[in-house]
Amino acid sequence: MDYKIIPSICSYCGCGCGVLFQVFDGKLVGTLPMKTHLVNEGKLCIKGWNLHEHVVSDKRLKSPMLKKDGNLQETTWDEAIQTTADKLKAIIQKHGPDSVGVLASAKVTNEENYLAQKFTRAAIGTNNVDHCARL
Amino acid sequence: MEEQMKEWPEPFSTTGGKTSMLVTMQEQVKEWLDQDKVDLFLGYKMVQKHPLPHCFTKDNLDEVDELIAGQARYSLEKIATKIAAERPEIKIGLLARDCNQRALNVLYVWNQLNPDNLETINVNCCPSKLKEHGDCSYLEPEQVGSFKKMIGIDNIIEVKAAEEFSQEDRFNRWMYEFQKCLKCYGCRNICPVCFCEECSLEHTDLIATGSIPPEVPIFHLVRAVHMGGRCIDCGLCEDTCPVDIPLRLLYRKVNETVEDVFGYVTGTNADQSPFNLLGDEVTLKIKPI
Amino acid sequence: MTNSIAEIEDAACIFVIGTNTTENHPLIARRVFRAKEKGAKLIVADPRNIQLARFADIHVRHRLGSDVALLNGMMHVIIKNDWHAKSYIDERTEGFDELKKVVETYTPDKVEAISGIAQGDLERMAELYATNSPAALLYAMGITQHTTGVDNVKSCCNIAMLCGNVGVRSGGVNPLRGQNNVQGACDMGGLPNVFPAYQPVTVEANNEKFSKAWGKKLPDQIGYTITDMIPAMLNGKLKALYVIGENPMMSDPDQNHINKALEKLELLICQDIFQTETTQKADVVFAAASVAEKEGTFTNTERRCVKVNIAIDPVGNALADWEIISKLSTAMGYKMSYENSEEIFNEMTSVTPSYGGMTYERLGLDGLQWPCPNSEHPGTPFLHKEQFTRGKGMFHAIEYLDPDEMPDDKYPYFLTTGRNFAHFHTGTMTRASAHLHAEQKTGYVELNPEDANKLAVQDGDMVLLSTRRGEMKTPARVTSKVKPGVLFVPFHFAECPANILTNPAFDPIAKIPEFKVCAAKIEKAP
Repeated sequence: MDYKIIPSICSYCGCGCGVLFQVFDGKLVGTLPMKTHLVNEGKLCIKGWNLHEHVVSDKRLKSPMLKKDGNLQETTWDEAIQTTADKLKAIIQKHGPDSVGVLASAKVTNEENYLAQKFTRAAIGTNNVDHCARL
Repeated sequence: MEEQMKEWPEPFSTTGGKTSMLVTMQEQVKEWLDQDKVDLFLGYKMVQKHPLPHCFTKDNLDEVDELIAGQARYSLEKIATKIAAERPEIKIGLLARDCNQRALNVLYVWNQLNPDNLETINVNCCPSKLKEHGDCSYLEPEQVGSFKKMIGIDNIIEVKAAEEFSQEDRFNRWMYEFQKCLKCYGCRNICPVCFCEECSLEHTDLIATGSIPPEVPIFHLVRAVHMGGRCIDCGLCEDTCPVDIPLRLLYRKVNETVEDVFGYVTGTNADQSPFNLLGDEVTLKIKPI
Repeated sequence: MTNSIAEIEDAACIFVIGTNTTENHPLIARRVFRAKEKGAKLIVADPRNIQLARFADIHVRHRLGSDVALLNGMMHVIIKNDWHAKSYIDERTEGFDELKKVVETYTPDKVEAISGIAQGDLERMAELYATNSPAALLYAMGITQHTTGVDNVKSCCNIAMLCGNVGVRSGGVNPLRGQNNVQGACDMGGLPNVFPAYQPVTVEANNEKFSKAWGKKLPDQIGYTITDMIPAMLNGKLKALYVIGENPMMSDPDQNHINKALEKLELLICQDIFQTETTQKADVVFAAASVAEKEGTFTNTERRCVKVNIAIDPVGNALADWEIISKLSTAMGYKMSYENSEEIFNEMTSVTPSYGGMTYERLGLDGLQWPCPNSEHPGTPFLHKEQFTRGKGMFHAIEYLDPDEMPDDKYPYFLTTGRNFAHFHTGTMTRASAHLHAEQKTGYVELNPEDANKLAVQDGDMVLLSTRRGEMKTPARVTSKVKPGVLFVPFHFAECPANILTNPAFDPIAKIPEFKVCAAKIEKAP
């Protein structure tokens, strides 16, 4: 029997409200507002209160997928990564690095955005990186 | 975090290190866990300068040295209800302020928790001895703004004083407050005595969905009706309301009516509630009006 | 935001323009209510009758896209009445004379002709804003998503500086960021022209610094924005696209157009936590971990860098986005071998001056607001305190321009788009959440009762909406929230996709599409 409270931040809008995830035997069962957080002071909106629901949805993607015979099919990480890298390398070789674009994301972390643009600039060799701030 | 700067009574005080009351509490919890009197203990722990609810267990007994009374107030009994729903056999220990205890009584009445499986360590804080309107989450009640006092409802006003407004004035003031509602459902979500699987607030025949504010005043009146004989005046709903609607006052009035009609004071003990008609017999007689 | 969320509470005046705050930033709306209840004046300029409008001292429903005229008109009134902050303007700004010359021509009657705002209302707004200080200006996509988005933003800055509201507590110009980490994605250099902390890629010293730090010669040509990528896909210049945590099929304007563009790609790589309208078109889909399943930081709209923590293991074989990017990069021959998110954070802060003083330990649960350049720096609640970052604050004299598309005989209605309080962006997450889905199950179009009457449409009837880009059927929601002649459609719902209708015309500088105005036709569905 294991009950944990994990402090975190809501990932919906830009307010950045403090939340507490309730974890029961390794399962995410609820979201609470963090009382002493500077931004939200123990309050949340309807989306924040239900933050855990999308995480535990059965619609979540659980495996990488590759298109085979016109359909996306589940595969291993090794195959998904290697196939993608080979295709990307071939495109770069033929059309140059500027034929590749990357959309970083306002939904992932700073660390991940940092890596996404580093990947675009250093690994691909282009500045074709943007994200959905405009949308 | 300003609240921590205020002077708190024992065992909440954080100035001057561990108080003897806190040490006694920790020793008691360790003993209970060690001797399997409880399987887990719900209290508070300081995490990166924030008091957060925490579940202490026998596997990690040393951690109990970090147990605090918690200056921020969470509904530990709601967490207990959640745990009991999944694992009814588990014995739960709980740090209980007065409001938590009143909530526990209601949860026993409504068969949401089994008193045989619950042990509490009681801490006295509410009603506060320090302040007349003391809410344990802020001993110094917040002064509401001048405009709210004029147009809306002062959050620390008493039922009697609120009733002195003319009916029209009172109506307009409540309408003002309800129109701010963002429909977060926080009042229900945080409520220690809200446990229904189907909630009237989500009943689409009663309340339309898809826009805010939710239908004024139906949304809040539906909830108020359901708080009669249930609300234990802990104030968590008002505390979590993003727009400071004086919910506590509303439910106090509802409970006052319940007391007038049935002579029942919610949460004072684990006796039958007039709304809880289990079995063949109504156990409480309606008082003549 | 130049200022902080908590400061809003102590403003003497709040000017809300182009943000439906209670639905999209509820915990900022809280501060607006609290300020109002403490006695602040509230000005709401929004074409829709939003919830905050009920509490406003003055609410104007200006014509969609007429923001520059409205703001110029307010400044006209302010200068004419001598309400502007003269010593502030002298000491801290430049370009005032040019601004004055332009706004002089925006007389209240001219502004009324453009925006539909009665002259008395304009004067009242100007007076409230200029004579109650500090005044906080809040805006969101209602200001930016226009072909004149940059002009609109500059006009907001103009009026704030005109009244000495920039660089003061509880004042400022405060864009409310619509997504949890828009601020961070920009700060981290997720943009085609800048490295982290807005260091331009075209400046040689920057390029050298990052080339050295990353051990690779880096490109110094500005890349494509998302708006440039679409034509580049169509004309065959862009062959591969790697989309991380986005759903351009739903979020970009003119869906038919983006659909064609994506189909021309040789390789579409998607990384997401759900199947989306975009992942369905992908050649490869990477399953990513959600917010509760990984560690890292977000930067909120008040520039506060805050930490998220691992609550549970990722579902199935999903991996944190940073792990996926590292694997792919390594497979491409550029090795990335990070132990954890903290290691990446520390590398990032070493090349990002505004985050330079941050560590996971210092962030704690409260986070730190950038700029935070060194380990002793407490962070910055509001910007431009003693002087503007660029030295003097620059006024920009701006002329009003019409939106790209105005109603005409064929498409006689104004159409605008936005969000519903229970949903988020393209609905990928919120529609998978039972409680949020229950609140709003599908899309709708808001239609004024007068128009509904003309069209013989009742609440709930299906209507056919069309524009020059496309058409869709959706239920009507008859409400006076919109004025006659204006339609509003939320863009969360794939079965009635607002962006099949919207205009992809964009701002020439910011490259932001004009989601907020286009011309449309509505008829009862056959």
